Amino acid sequence: MTRPHASDVAPVEIDEPSIDTNLNVDHPWIVLVWNDPINLMSYVTYVLQKVFGYSHEKAESLMLDVHEKGRAVVSNGSKEKAELDVFRLHEHGLWATIQQD
Amino acid sequence: MAFGFKRTIQSKGPDRFIINLRADLREVIAAVCDDVLAALDDENAPDRDPMLRRVFPVAHATDESVNEAYRDLVHSDLLRTRREALERVSATANDSELDRATLETWMVGLNTVRLVLGTRLDVSEDGFPQLEADDPELPAWALYEFLGVLVGMVVDALARTV
Repeated sequence: MTRPHASDVAPVEIDEPSIDTNLNVDHPWIVLVWNDPINLMSYVTYVLQKVFGYSHEKAESLMLDVHEKGRAVVSNGSKEKAELDVFRLHEHGLWATIQQD
Repeated sequence: MAFGFKRTIQSKGPDRFIINLRADLREVIAAVCDDVLAALDDENAPDRDPMLRRVFPVAHATDESVNEAYRDLVHSDLLRTRREALERVSATANDSELDRATLETWMVGLNTVRLVLGTRLDVSEDGFPQLEADDPELPAWALYEFLGVLVGMVVDALARTV
């Protein structure tokens, strides 16, 4: 009994799962955070870091978009994911909505 | 301590925070949490829906069917987690030390109070209005400002120890 040499082994065809490069087409739901006069800017930044695991820089940049442009897209995905994300933002008192992009 | 130089919230590492607050302010914290808990429980209050609209927001800006499904899905969870946060803040209002999880609960619980109070005061981007000294809304505005400062300090303490 011999161990098969590497070159004796036929290459196996692997059905690689196709990498979804176009999330927004297949999962067209987005989560928006809207500007509101009550929540503190530092609070919104911290919540975005905590809920989504974003870096301070990314969270702050999203918060400034919300502040200056009135709203920002903070995440996207399937409807179920968007609903979960919006729920977690609502738990933290942010004014957030979902919509189909 | 009327004027101190100690930080109101001192961090001793990421999981231990010393709370330097006067006893009367701690009473205020517990009382406002209890007030909002009572408002959550009073299902027949005439101004309930407008007052709590920021605590139970809609999920979709225009689609009522999405909103209805979302309400069915999460309303009881949202109510429960709001209640638990407010109860926890009220119960720990006199603690001199908090761990990180409890301080995060303070952040969310006190922010819930600000949302309810700010909605009642119809707060706008203009901030604190010009009020006469005898304006009946003045105490509520002062409370709203105090809670804003406090939530800001809680967030700063948490953010600098991430």
